Amino acid sequence: MATIPLDRTAKQIVLTVQDYSLFVWQAMRNLFRPPVYWTDFLQQSDIIGVGSTSIVLLSGFFTGGVLALQSAATLAQFGANSLTGRFVSLTMIRELGPVLTGVMVSGRNASSMASELGSMVVTEQIDAMRALGVDPMRKLVTPRLYSCITMLFFLVIVADAFGIMGGGFVTIFLNHQNGTEYFSTAWEALRWPDVVQGLVKPLLSGFIIASIGCFYGMRTSGGTEGVGRSTIQAVVTSSVLIIFVDFIVTHLLLTLLGTG
Amino acid sequence: MSGAPMSAPEALSASPVVDVCNVTLSFDGPPVLKDINFSVASGETRILLGPAGVGKSVLLKVVNGLIRPDQGSVLLFGEDIFSIPEERLFALRARTGMVFQEGALFDSLTVRDNVGYQLLQNRSITDDEVDTRVHEALSFVGLAETFSMYPASLSGGMKRRVAIARALINNPELILYDSPTGGLDPVTSTNIIELIMKERDVHATPSIMVTHRLQDAFMLCTHRFDAGTNSMVQLPTGQADPHTTFLMLEEGKLIFDGSLHDLVHSDDAFVREFIE
Repeated sequence: MATIPLDRTAKQIVLTVQDYSLFVWQAMRNLFRPPVYWTDFLQQSDIIGVGSTSIVLLSGFFTGGVLALQSAATLAQFGANSLTGRFVSLTMIRELGPVLTGVMVSGRNASSMASELGSMVVTEQIDAMRALGVDPMRKLVTPRLYSCITMLFFLVIVADAFGIMGGGFVTIFLNHQNGTEYFSTAWEALRWPDVVQGLVKPLLSGFIIASIGCFYGMRTSGGTEGVGRSTIQAVVTSSVLIIFVDFIVTHLLLTLLGTG
Repeated sequence: MSGAPMSAPEALSASPVVDVCNVTLSFDGPPVLKDINFSVASGETRILLGPAGVGKSVLLKVVNGLIRPDQGSVLLFGEDIFSIPEERLFALRARTGMVFQEGALFDSLTVRDNVGYQLLQNRSITDDEVDTRVHEALSFVGLAETFSMYPASLSGGMKRRVAIARALINNPELILYDSPTGGLDPVTSTNIIELIMKERDVHATPSIMVTHRLQDAFMLCTHRFDAGTNSMVQLPTGQADPHTTFLMLEEGKLIFDGSLHDLVHSDDAFVREFIE
């Protein structure tokens, strides 16, 4: 008897993964077949990219600051204060910049995509769009997907830059260390594999945020309560997936690029 | 009311605009629609009656390809909509107009952008032309003053009229009305029915109207729109519009297909109970 719910749950998971795969495939290929809604792409880029700049900038700055505070005390025990810049820049660019930005943007945009599309589903606006001869996948999902991938790439660069600046601020004004040394070690420590690693991850995080947000939004059912449920599922799933994919990609890239 | 046809129906086009054949549909349970068959001829108005929850709205969505049935086929303008690719189905849907139960207006867009939505997707139509046609459509439903407003600031009746304007702006070859008067007061309901009648009698657009309100259905059948006075007038007692006919659903089954005269003289117990 206990196997029946387990069996059902397993089937449900497989079906959801199958639906998600088909959903993503359809959304991605739409970019290469007209009509492409470029205006919506720009509008979404503004909402996702420009709209998220302030939270990304602040979280990046303070994360860099905290890294400098924490590392300075430990490094001082080994007389390695001069390595603070190297530590902050590598950690920000390789790990914390992409992951934190992904999670922050997920909290802001995966939720808004799921709730906006979910509301449109329960109020029949999606059906109305289809009835008017407009494909909601092309009009709503594809622009969100590609603009989120593009914007997250740039947001991570902003977060990395402000993280290093935050670390520099703490190093100079709170730890009273040499700023030139901080920034020069931060710069010299970087190698191309580190930068590649840091810039591949946001592409995947952007993909996860938009595809999961739109997927849960478009399959909303059960009225306004369903919209709330979709929003929670979108944020939770995308946040966990970002961290999981980060782990896989880090392992893969460290093996491939040999920066381990 | 005998509901006898006003005159012999004019010969309707040989090929129906909509042809629903053996449609059956279920959602994880007992069938919602069971072996439905009916057609809509050119210039014909079909009123789909039945109590709430018998599958009327679902059937309307099946006709437009918004829901795929488990069995059966739907020919829309002669094409089997469930055997063609999605791209062609979108093009086919663009030739129809649909008015949803609650209007389903896009709440983040103005009335102008809602009504002109289809036109705005077509890059060959200029903004000025869109504005002109939106003004015409809004004037048709008597809401020209709402051009720049958002749906949130409209009343329920105004939203339905804007939804009708949106459905009509592209001169559709078929209109589907899903409970256009549901939840509205009698005066507003009459205004909506008058608009539907106007579209029927002025443009002779074939349509399917879902409703559970008998008074609306009978009014549509026993009145005609007078373009001269820009209002509806009652047909002589005992006469009914020959191109307006009825369908009735009971628990997902089509139990009646005929004229007003046939409806009021039906022996079916469910039909009798419903109309009495």
